[in-house]
Amino acid sequence: MLETSETTAAAATTGFEPRVVAFLCKWCASAGSDMAGVSRTRYPANAIPITVMCSGGVSPVHVLSAFNQGADGVLVSGCHPGDCHYVSGNFRARRRFYLAKKLLEFVGLESQRFRMSWVSAAEGAKFARVVEDFIDDLRPLGPQTRLRADP
Amino acid sequence: MVDLREIRERARELLEKGRVGCVIGYRRDGADMTVTPAFVTRPEDAGTLAWDPGCVHNLAVYLDGKGPVAIVAKGCDSRAIVVLLQEKYIKREDVHILGVSCEGAGVLDRAKLRRRLGGKTPRKADFGDGDDFLITTDDDVIAIPAADVLAERCLECRTAFPAVHDDVFGDRVERTFRDPFHSVEAFESSSDEQRWTFWKRHMDRCIRCHACRSVCPMCFCEECVVDSINFAVTAETTAEHKAGRVKWIEKSPTASENFGYHLVRALHLAGRCVDCGECERVCPLDIPIRLLNRKLEKEALEAFGYEAGLDPDVAPLFSSFRDDDPGDFIS
Repeated sequence: MLETSETTAAAATTGFEPRVVAFLCKWCASAGSDMAGVSRTRYPANAIPITVMCSGGVSPVHVLSAFNQGADGVLVSGCHPGDCHYVSGNFRARRRFYLAKKLLEFVGLESQRFRMSWVSAAEGAKFARVVEDFIDDLRPLGPQTRLRADP
Repeated sequence: MVDLREIRERARELLEKGRVGCVIGYRRDGADMTVTPAFVTRPEDAGTLAWDPGCVHNLAVYLDGKGPVAIVAKGCDSRAIVVLLQEKYIKREDVHILGVSCEGAGVLDRAKLRRRLGGKTPRKADFGDGDDFLITTDDDVIAIPAADVLAERCLECRTAFPAVHDDVFGDRVERTFRDPFHSVEAFESSSDEQRWTFWKRHMDRCIRCHACRSVCPMCFCEECVVDSINFAVTAETTAEHKAGRVKWIEKSPTASENFGYHLVRALHLAGRCVDCGECERVCPLDIPIRLLNRKLEKEALEAFGYEAGLDPDVAPLFSSFRDDDPGDFIS
């Protein structure tokens, strides 16, 4: 993954580079990120990918743990509805994280810090765009301190 | 009007005939109006059972799947039993539900009552004619309007009548004091910053006694994600194995870990919380825990049309989905 000139410029002025934990499903989103790589698409290197078997296997505990360990944003990405390798995992994830997102906002976490996206194995360009947009939205927010474990 | 003698008579009959091994109910305890859970196993003790506005406990927490037992259940308690049935934690034939209608009232909030009585000790509490409670003190009997001293959850209760029951005592009375999501809606209108400040203050205070978890009928996991005390560590457990166990949330009561605990707790109760309000009642620090649960129940109702504790035969919230579940938040 390569940094774009814009992100380098922004980092120079604010000194803040958001760190994102990205839970990517093995069958679609992770393959999509691979597609972005092999297509030589330039996008920010701020996302730390964690490949999971299915977006339906990501628990809100994992998301909270990422925030606890200092993530500035968390991305959960899986197959488009109807494309799940396990038939219905992404539908379950959608329901679960709909509520998790509402709850995080309810306790006052900035709504931009948690994001979900459907990315297919062919959508390398989309994956790059999702990460880029996410980082752009996180940068003005500054570091995430609300759910982070006290040092 | 609920006739206590009928409840006692029915309990005695069930024990005598050997239909159940134990009747889980309430009894008066001590010189003030305190009520504690009672476990009656002998027919002759059925006369100790009580029913009054001090019967706050959700007794469903004592159901452990070992039956058959009878249980005294208010509207909210019976909804908890429905969730336990829905999740196959208990079998219907193992529990005999002695449903009690709150008859449009509910149970007392002791803190509200204390403020109202201003120093007098309540010796006895009784249901009045529906709109008030009769509180006996050392000096006299005072009638207090129900709305002034009802527990918050009762003010927001929709159905103060048992959802499932084998016997039912008292009549169904439809009455709502407030909108079911009154407190959530009031809180939602505040800004991100205000909500954060509010929760941060409370999470700083939480001492992680886990009373909210212990009292919750839905928290029946053998091992809890936040607290692995039940994990069997034997002489053969290697240090490497112990060190390799993932600890998602630390036990230390710091704000960040408390956020983890309370958010996970709320999410584990999503679509399961029946708003018996016990978590908030037992909290020694008066943390508004109910608010988190109510928020998720409100979202579940609005987004998925799901309401917990009404039907033991529907699929639980997170075990089901619809093609047209909201997905606007996903890019």
